[in-house]
Amino acid sequence: MDDRRRRFEAQALPHLDAAYNLARWLSRSPADADDIVQDAMLRAFRAFDGFRGGDAKPWLLTIVRNCWLSAGSATRRRGHTELEDSVADAGPDPEEAAIQAGHQRRLDAMIARLPEDFREVLILREMEDMSYREIADITGTPIGTVMSRLARARTMLREFVKEGS
Amino acid sequence: MSCEHLLNTQSYLDGELTGAEAAEAERHLGTCAQCQAFAAEAAELSDRLRKAPRHAAPAHLRAAVLARLDKEPVRFSPRSFWMGAAGGAGVSALAAGFALLALLPPSIATLTQSVADAHARALTAGHTIMVASSNHHTVKPWLAAHAGLSPPVTDFAGDGFTLTGGRVDEVAGRPAAVMVYAHGNHEVDLFAWPDRGADLPGTSMAHGFRITFWKAGDMDYAAVSDMDGAAFQKFVGLVRAQRE
Repeated sequence: MDDRRRRFEAQALPHLDAAYNLARWLSRSPADADDIVQDAMLRAFRAFDGFRGGDAKPWLLTIVRNCWLSAGSATRRRGHTELEDSVADAGPDPEEAAIQAGHQRRLDAMIARLPEDFREVLILREMEDMSYREIADITGTPIGTVMSRLARARTMLREFVKEGS
Repeated sequence: MSCEHLLNTQSYLDGELTGAEAAEAERHLGTCAQCQAFAAEAAELSDRLRKAPRHAAPAHLRAAVLARLDKEPVRFSPRSFWMGAAGGAGVSALAAGFALLALLPPSIATLTQSVADAHARALTAGHTIMVASSNHHTVKPWLAAHAGLSPPVTDFAGDGFTLTGGRVDEVAGRPAAVMVYAHGNHEVDLFAWPDRGADLPGTSMAHGFRITFWKAGDMDYAAVSDMDGAAFQKFVGLVRAQRE
């Protein structure tokens, strides 16, 4: 195996789960997320010589987001609710798993109601632990915009939770 | 109507502030009911989001990604001095390097050293296999696509040598197809590259590995392993019998 492939597997491949998670929340479809991530990993590999080192995660997530954008508005507007496979990691107890699945489905539906711009900053911050600076880089927006979108996303989601309960 | 310090409070809650700024935000949070309400709700929300199962990449996706990476052309690292001198001029330098090497059949000593080095390098890195398969119908086209070489690929599992996969490597600066076999705890690499008229060494030891060379058809072959002499000769016999 060549050195480049080895470095890619050591630095970028460990973030495959993060890439898939972001693609899932952006596209809301397992099949689309599959395509987006495959496309993104291939693009990342081809561009890997240009990666300057450091944390590969924000770099990879930027590529995932670009692939999602270029996957086309048709995919993005489809608005899937294919959540069946998301309960796979809920645990061995079927009853508990069902309850978990219910929570997950509601939360997922609420996040889905957020406009794309708000949804992505929330996912990047709360699930992927990206800093404001990293989110700004990934989404190509000023830090001030990241902050206001994040605040807005949180306020909106809080409203949805109140409506739902 | 929200507090004008709300974004600053949020930055504090997200761990974006340090030192005096953090202290200032904390002071404000202690006195502002709006920011306190925001903080409480944001914390609850954050808790829920972080408890939500992350969508982990399914196994089939991981496999598909690796398979697509396998299809990418292998780029050799610029080890040879003229490639280094070309300063990453990339493909053209690589092609030039190979063209030059093609004119110069490697010496016998170079070949032995080169195969032993390649085998040792692969073992050390734990990457002897780029395409893992016991199916010669998988390994053969993979080698053809990646090394541009199509040596016969046979599984000798019935005789105790199980085909486990293949990789692309270098012998004396030229691409070589490598078929990897397992024999108990031992591994044997079978190298194949186009015959360029070079004289081949016989059987020797290098780096503690047993190595032997032969020609068949329009290709040169080398087998290298740490197996004992009898098993090694048996393997070479099997390979040569199916080729000649």
